[in-house]
Amino acid sequence: MYSVELRGVTKRYPGGGAEPVVALDDVDFAVEPGEFVAVVGPSGSGKSTLLNVLGLLDDPTEGWRLLDGTDVTELTVAERTAARKESIGFVFQDFHLLPTLTAVENVALPTAFDPGDASDRAADLLGRFGLGDRLDHEPSELSGGQKQRVAIARALINEPAVLLADEPTGNLDTETGESILAEFERVKTEGVAVVAVTHDPLVEEFADRVVELTDGVLIGGVPAESDATDGPQSDRDAESALTPGDR
Amino acid sequence: MTGDGVAGRLRGWRPAVAMAGRNLRRNRVRTVLAVLGVCIGVLAVAALGIFGNVLALGADDAIGDIGTQVVVSPNADAGVESLSAADVAAVRRAVDDPAVGDPAVVPLYSDSAVVEGASGQTFATVYGVEEPGLAFEAAEGRLPDRHRQGAIVGAGVAEDLGVGAGDTVGIAGSQVRVVAVLAESQTFSPVAPDDAVFLPESAFAADGYAQALIVAESGETARAAADAIREEVNAREERVDLFELAAVVDEINGFFDLLSTFLLGLGAISLVVAGVSILNVMLMSTVERRQEIGVMRAVGVTRRDVLRVLLAEAGLIGAAGAAAGTLLTVLLVAGLVAATPAVDAALVLDPTNGYYLLLALVFGVGVGLVSGAYPAWKAANERPVEALRS
Repeated sequence: MYSVELRGVTKRYPGGGAEPVVALDDVDFAVEPGEFVAVVGPSGSGKSTLLNVLGLLDDPTEGWRLLDGTDVTELTVAERTAARKESIGFVFQDFHLLPTLTAVENVALPTAFDPGDASDRAADLLGRFGLGDRLDHEPSELSGGQKQRVAIARALINEPAVLLADEPTGNLDTETGESILAEFERVKTEGVAVVAVTHDPLVEEFADRVVELTDGVLIGGVPAESDATDGPQSDRDAESALTPGDR
Repeated sequence: MTGDGVAGRLRGWRPAVAMAGRNLRRNRVRTVLAVLGVCIGVLAVAALGIFGNVLALGADDAIGDIGTQVVVSPNADAGVESLSAADVAAVRRAVDDPAVGDPAVVPLYSDSAVVEGASGQTFATVYGVEEPGLAFEAAEGRLPDRHRQGAIVGAGVAEDLGVGAGDTVGIAGSQVRVVAVLAESQTFSPVAPDDAVFLPESAFAADGYAQALIVAESGETARAAADAIREEVNAREERVDLFELAAVVDEINGFFDLLSTFLLGLGAISLVVAGVSILNVMLMSTVERRQEIGVMRAVGVTRRDVLRVLLAEAGLIGAAGAAAGTLLTVLLVAGLVAATPAVDAALVLDPTNGYYLLLALVFGVGVGLVSGAYPAWKAANERPVEALRS
């Protein structure tokens, strides 16, 4: 079973003219637990859309979306919010920490409105990322690398199935970027699927698999040695493998 | 069960309020200005409300119970020159009813004369009255149950002439002992007892009463008595004229109600302005924090919780402004009382003024919540993917 999977997903946006913009064109994509996949491609190729659809921030126009084997293609707003909280962690290029909250509070943000206190768990996570002495610092008092570690810790607070990273090293120098990617390697050893959308060749080095997205068409979206056993899935794999060659 | 429900609901608000507090501290100047706006609005509502109320209370106090008297006089237009004993009896019958409060009927003879005393003389109305105790109160001496002899002197006349109980006054040439001096009248009345002298009915040779005074317990019973007289005594012929002060009091009270409403309205305008400023602050703040709110939504914070945080921000602004405004109002009113001897402290401490303070307080918080509702709703319902894109 894949941690997250897209089957034949198409995403169209109403464009300015009569023709809608096709951001994703019949995309098949799957990530196994503990796998680190880098999605590369030029700007405007649909990388962000892919990440948004994977992260339940946006719905596909056509196709299916599965999270831990469960169909999550069509959910209500509240269900999507709950599913994001449960199963998906986000890491952004700009870190996107809340400036008014301390490191610990930022990590605990997804659970801030739940009964019970997640501060201990958040502090543990920060300790694992080497920020045990920065717990009560506000984001403005942290370096870029430290902020991104806080963001990764926030993504992991609910033990998600998938970690989605949008240019995670984009705002970091090479050395810090490497250390962040090393953190991703650790995260994946815990069975979390990691998907990073990137321009950075460094990310490709760390990834188990690199898939390329060009004009909404994805190449190598599904692992070659699939352990998925259902028939239609295998058919679809074969189909998608052919698709790029047709274009 | 319900207690748990309420506690649970409050628990849900606690992190929202904590987060809201920090967000407000982030842009202190803007927050303080918004709070100041509400503060001024609440101050305007509370202070103007209280001023209006104090004016109304003061007027009520000054007019006193004039509304409790009805004066019955002969209808000269119908050729009735004076009230006969039968008329008075008819009036008594008309008001002899528990439904109208069984008011006292005091028929009066009336004349005028020069009254002389130790220190001078004055022109006064002289009334003939049998039961003065029903309508008047004595400041000096004692009012007889039946007025048989001597004179009862109004407060004004007594002061002018420098006489007290036990002295003698000259009325139309004859010397009469003063049996009592009336307390200064608190009320406006066409009988004007302050400038009058009251003699026994036997001193008058007239064949009819000039008027009859109906003294009721309250304005309402006075009105009922007047209606009863109109119905029964004037049933066949318009024999008597009624002079009712209750109607005048109603007019005056109506005016002060209008004034109070007008003042409150003035205050409410400033509170609306304050509401618009909160709306502006919250809209600006949610636009600036669009990405942050998007991040919260993306990492799994529900729309309801985002809404709570933003509503809490607006509510806190409203509550802080309302509390400050209420406090300022109390200080302002206290200062006014201290600086203006003419303002009676008892009027200002009247519990009805507390109602205006409470009203302003509730309005302040309410304005915060109402103004914050739209921006909060808008921000909470924005799709995170769009909020994050910018």
